[in-house]
Parts: sequence; C-alpha cells; structure tokens
Amino acid sequence: MLYPKGGDSVQLPIKVDEQRPEPMYHQIESQLRGLILGGQLAEGTPLPSIRELAMSLKCSSITIRRVYQDLESEGYIRTRQGSGTFVARTGGDDRRQHRLRRAAEELERAVDAAFQLGCSEEEIEELFRKAVRNRVPEPKGGIQDE
Amino acid sequence: MNDFERPAIRMEGLTAGTGDFRLGPLDVSIPRGTVTAVVGSNGSGKSTLFRALLGLEPLTGGALQVLDSAVGPSGDERYKARIGFVAENPHAYENSVTVREKAEFASMWYPGWSWERYRRLMERFDIRDQVKLSKLSKGLRRKAELAVSMVHDPELLILDEPTSGLDPVIWKVWLEEMQAYMDSGDRTVLIATHVTEEVKRLADYVLILHRGKCLGFYEKDRLFEEWRTVLAEPVDGRPDTGTLRRADGCSRIEELENGLYRIDWSGSGAAEQEAAMRACGLRPLDSRRLELEEILSRFIQEEKV
Repeated sequence: MLYPKGGDSVQLPIKVDEQRPEPMYHQIESQLRGLILGGQLAEGTPLPSIRELAMSLKCSSITIRRVYQDLESEGYIRTRQGSGTFVARTGGDDRRQHRLRRAAEELERAVDAAFQLGCSEEEIEELFRKAVRNRVPEPKGGIQDE
Repeated sequence: MNDFERPAIRMEGLTAGTGDFRLGPLDVSIPRGTVTAVVGSNGSGKSTLFRALLGLEPLTGGALQVLDSAVGPSGDERYKARIGFVAENPHAYENSVTVREKAEFASMWYPGWSWERYRRLMERFDIRDQVKLSKLSKGLRRKAELAVSMVHDPELLILDEPTSGLDPVIWKVWLEEMQAYMDSGDRTVLIATHVTEEVKRLADYVLILHRGKCLGFYEKDRLFEEWRTVLAEPVDGRPDTGTLRRADGCSRIEELENGLYRIDWSGSGAAEQEAAMRACGLRPLDSRRLELEEILSRFIQEEKV
C-alpha cells in the first residue's frame, strides 16, 4: 500500500489561542461546531484527517479524536470507514438556535459591560434600542414588505 | 481488545545500563497509533532506551514488550523487522555503500519492503541514490536514512534526533510524510528530539527523561495546559512569598528587576492560584503558558529538591 495522499480536504479557519484558559479541545470543538452551524462548512465537506488537523493546530491527535467523537455524537459530522470524515446535514432549526445562542452571548457580554460602568436597567434598554435603530437603515417612504 | 488498546511498547520496571549510567526503572505503556516525543537533556538515557527497545542493550531488570514480543535473551527477534530505526549518528560501516545498496540490503531483511514506495520516497526527498553515503553531507545523509527507514512501512518507527542538519524544505516534506505515515491510525512513533516545534507538531505524548529516570509520561496537550506562568505586581509593600511558595501548585517564584514577580504554577485551579497570590499581596497582571524548555527545567528543578 502507498500512503494515502492528503490535501483534498479543506483548510479549516480554526485558531487555538494558547493564552486562553479554556482547554484546547474546547476551543477547537466550539469553533468547528460554529463553522458547521454558521454554514461556512456545507454538508458533505470533507474534513482533514485527525492527524492532519492535529499537526496543523499543533495539538495532540487525542484532542482532535475527542473533538470529532463529540461532534459526531451531536450529529454534526459523520465518519465513513476508509473515506474520512464529512460535515453532516444540519437542520435549519439547529442553525437558528445556534445563531440566537451566539447572539445572546454577545449581547450578554455588552450588558455586563454596561452594568459594570454603572448604567441602570432603563439606560441600557434605551441604549440598546438606539443602537439597533442606528444600525438598521431607515426605510424610505414607509415600510417595505418583501 | 483492539489495536489501540494493545500498547506498542510496554515497560514494566525496566532497567538497563551498567557502570556510571543506569536507565530506569521505567513503567510506561505507549499506545499504538500515537507519537511519543522523548525529551530530556544530553545523557538523559534516550539512546539507551532506544537500544533496549531494539534488543541491543542488555536489560538488568523488569520486563519489556515491543510489538507484542518479549525483548530479552530468549525472545523472538522477528519483531525487529517491523521496526524502522534511525540512529543518532550515521553508521561508519555504511560509509562505502550507496543509498541504493543500503536499500537493496534492507529490502532482503524487511518483508514489508516496497520498491514502489522506495521510488516515491526518493523522489519526495529529492535523493540521488547512486551516491556513496560517505560522499553525502550530514543533512543529505540524514534525509536518505529517514526515507529508507519508512520504505518497509514499519509498525513502529524509532527516530533518534532525526532532523539535525535537514534544510527547512526537506523538514517540511518529512513532516508531510510523517503525517501520511500516521494517517493509517495504527502506526507508532517514538522520537527523541530537542526541537520544540517537532514536539508541538507531532507528539501525542511526551516522555520526560532525566539522568536515566522517567520524570513523567504525559498527554502533550494536558502537559502544556497544566503549566502557566503569571506576572504579578506587589500591592502594598513586600509580598509574603514564603506563604505563597507553600501554596498548592506553586512551583517557582522569581522577583524581577523591575519590581514585578513571576510565579510558575502547575495544576488547573486558576481561581485558587489567583486567590493565593492576592492573599499574599500580589496582583496578577498577565499569564501565559510555559514553553516546553521551561516546563522541562521545572521538572528537573523539582527532581533536585
């Protein structure tokens, strides 16, 4: 047998931040899940082999095997004997939930910061409405319905 | 039991070496399908360990199993044909042979030999195989040895400082070949190296040797996650470093020239560590992981104490 040639799987935009306190497997797993749920990795996309991803992220293959096992049991990826690991189909519901969860996390962070600066509940709500208004373009001549 | 649960190497109370140098006792099981980096300063026993695995070093005690074969005077020697080995220094007796002749000799000895794989590796490593080994520079000879060691697709690859002298282009080719070799999932590698980048890219486990003793066998990511160093400033007056030194996981405290303190910690209790520093009058400013060399020197330091 000749060694199989890698290289047809995608380069994953995952970054391990060694200075963060979360363990590596946690960082990699949440980023890969995010790429699948966010739609950046479409159904059927081949993922790198465990060893390939371990080498490119400079972590152990034990960590990557754990990530792949977790995501497989969550139904986000599937492994076919002999042909590798692929992104599985994700339901629209999953994606919507992921989107809302991620957005909620970001908003909670902003609310925490505002409380730390001594804002009141009313002030924060007012600021939030203002921020949304500022960023949504003003509809010209009434509400546009699609 | 499947392949991954059956260790490639099992050492139980293994001791070797005579006179000034004693290796062991070592109690380590290395799982199949993994890469273990053997690290330690010169004279730590890496090469003695490798010779013992190859049955070239008489054991003075304990038991050693390599690829399910007991190693010892009465052991079956056939397991050696399933190992690939690159020694720390080139063999002088090979000086007058060409790469091709070395390969022809190896092809008779290894049942797994494939001339197709040989041609592919010669091409990948850009090796002209009609040249005598003694005529090759250190780096060229090294890459020829590395390439030839993989041609019989060994179940266990033992590499002693394999990449000294390799140029960066060939180093990258070698890494890619190592990845392809490991991709089958059941190949096992033991590599002694001083190159931190190789440990980071390749290793699943790290075996730390120091003066023949095993200071630890760790899953690599755990080892790096375990150790942190914190930069802290005194809050008022001199901090109580005496108390801090006794805190759980505190490995080392250093007062820096700029009046700040550097505290090395092992263990996962980041919150407890921060509380301990604050209780002793130190405010943490920044924290980072320790590099491999720093972790090694912490281990050696604690061994001395």
